[in-house]
Amino acid sequence: MAKKEYDTFILTELEEFPEDQEMEIIVRDLTPEDRRYKYRSAYVLAKISKSESKYPDRLWVRLGRGQLQEKPWSIQIIKEVNKFA
Amino acid sequence: MGFRVYKDNREFIKALEAYDDLVIIQQEVDWDLEMGAIVRRVCEKKSAAPYFKKIQDYPGFEALGAPLATYKRLAIAMGMNPEATVLEISDEYVRRTTGETVKPVIVEKKKAPCKENIWMGKEADLFKLPGPMVHDGDGGRYLATWHFVVSKDPDTGAVNWGMYRQMVFDEKTMVGPVLPFSDMGKMFYGKYVPKNQPMPFATVIGCDPLSGVAACAPSPIPEDEFTGMLMGSPVELVKCETNDLYVPAQAEIIIEGEVIPGIQIEEAPFGEYTGYRTSPREPRTVYRVSAITFRNNPIITVSNMGVPTDEGQLLRSFSLGLEMRKLLESQGIPITGVFMWPESTHHLVVVGVRPAYSGIASQIANLVFGSKLSPWFTMVVVVDHETDIYNKDEVIHALCTKCHPIRGIRKYEQAPGTPLYPFADPEDRKWSRGSQVLFDCLFPLDWPKALVPIKVSFNNVYPKEIQDKVLKNWKSYGFKD
Ligand SMILES: Cc1cc2nc3c(=O)[nH]c(=O)nc-3n(C[C@H](O)[C@H](O)[C@H](O)COP(=O)(O)O)c2cc1C
Ligand SMILES: [Mn+2]
Repeated sequence: MAKKEYDTFILTELEEFPEDQEMEIIVRDLTPEDRRYKYRSAYVLAKISKSESKYPDRLWVRLGRGQLQEKPWSIQIIKEVNKFA
Repeated sequence: MGFRVYKDNREFIKALEAYDDLVIIQQEVDWDLEMGAIVRRVCEKKSAAPYFKKIQDYPGFEALGAPLATYKRLAIAMGMNPEATVLEISDEYVRRTTGETVKPVIVEKKKAPCKENIWMGKEADLFKLPGPMVHDGDGGRYLATWHFVVSKDPDTGAVNWGMYRQMVFDEKTMVGPVLPFSDMGKMFYGKYVPKNQPMPFATVIGCDPLSGVAACAPSPIPEDEFTGMLMGSPVELVKCETNDLYVPAQAEIIIEGEVIPGIQIEEAPFGEYTGYRTSPREPRTVYRVSAITFRNNPIITVSNMGVPTDEGQLLRSFSLGLEMRKLLESQGIPITGVFMWPESTHHLVVVGVRPAYSGIASQIANLVFGSKLSPWFTMVVVVDHETDIYNKDEVIHALCTKCHPIRGIRKYEQAPGTPLYPFADPEDRKWSRGSQVLFDCLFPLDWPKALVPIKVSFNNVYPKEIQDKVLKNWKSYGFKD
């Protein structure tokens, strides 16, 4: 199966971004089955690596004003977190 | 009445077509950037409005882009001659919006086209609507870019329609900035949040053109009544399905729900009225959706904020300038007019005045910068009554020759601002701190008469009979203009 792809906006210094720990983050789904759901956002519990190959799915990184970073990271989504329950 | 009124988006589209100001795009376009890119180019080239008949992934939905991005389209929306000048449109707007307000009327649900389709519960899913990805790098898909949000004051029952952008977060959630000094901001943060109460809302997408004009106008008159004044007849409203708000019966799409206290989620970045993505992605106001109702084959409206000229720049320059005109006239200042160029992204207020007494330019700037609308203005240029305020060449000439680079400039520090100023330091943006400046382009009255420079222009340095002779013979000299 092709990798799933997500992106996220990182608002802190990229160098300081903590890798390999479970954290809550907002991701947008770039490869939904039904294309109408592209860019759906969700809070997820996930582990992230700056290495593209460490975790199963690809994570593209954008800065606070939308600037897309050249190299993708990787992500393992543990679960979606519902903020409105 | 004497002018045409378009009761809905569809009649307006027909009028644009009749005035040759519409491009009907039959080819399928992608909601993911392609539609946005087309609208952006239309804004930058001041082209005709694009009417998208086929949107990828969303059969049955259509879209109108850049609905009011030119004065011509504003004139058409006002039911005026499409070639009307800005001054003519302004005078008509002021005439219609002065005096008695026009209260809305309520129509039955079965007579309201916006109830032709009703989605409730799980079916009311925002991704079933063709919210465009407007610019690459935006924080999400913006379903609401040319629209308004209805809300009601819990104490007084006063209704507000305001244009506050909304980004789709998930199936049931939208998020957007509601500035604290906006009417809905004062209502939600001042009245609902302290009681931890959700605030009912209804987003209206694809309204008639004048409701949109009213929703982004800074008038103190409730916008439903203000629209009635602009139309010269009452707006027709119908009750929502899941709350007791009322929405225009002829609108294309209504999204109902609640604005939630106690939680904010990340929104933005997005192209803004200044022509930049300036304000950061940060936690903003959350809307939860309870129902979606819509007309058959609904037509969403898409504005694309970016470099001039988009409808935000054009209409906000127009209506903010006219509010300043009303304010200055109400104070008896002998102004000859107020104009804001859309290209200034409504930062620059040009005021023409008879220099009747010393300090008049400062008095004007104090009023403009002291008004409740002041965060939208950063510069006031005061010129004399002989300068054509609509003529950029004349205003630039006055600015560069009559404004003393030290004495003619007055700075206003510690002013209220917005997080959207591209020029502001990041810390100032964070705290919405602004600064403002007056350019006084009037010669001081205390200069001896003989020492006042004389403007060297055709109108000013030739006797009347020579002017008349030259004008009369202009063509016979051989000139074609
Ligand atoms: C296209 C467009 C988008 C806007 N987006 C916002 C917004 O997201 N938040 C906001 O507070 N004002 C926004 N504004 C400005 C408000 O519409 C404007 O201040 C209006 O007067 C608000 O209504 P109110 O006076 O009832 O608060 C926007 C204006 C336009 C034209
Ligand atoms: Mn209002």
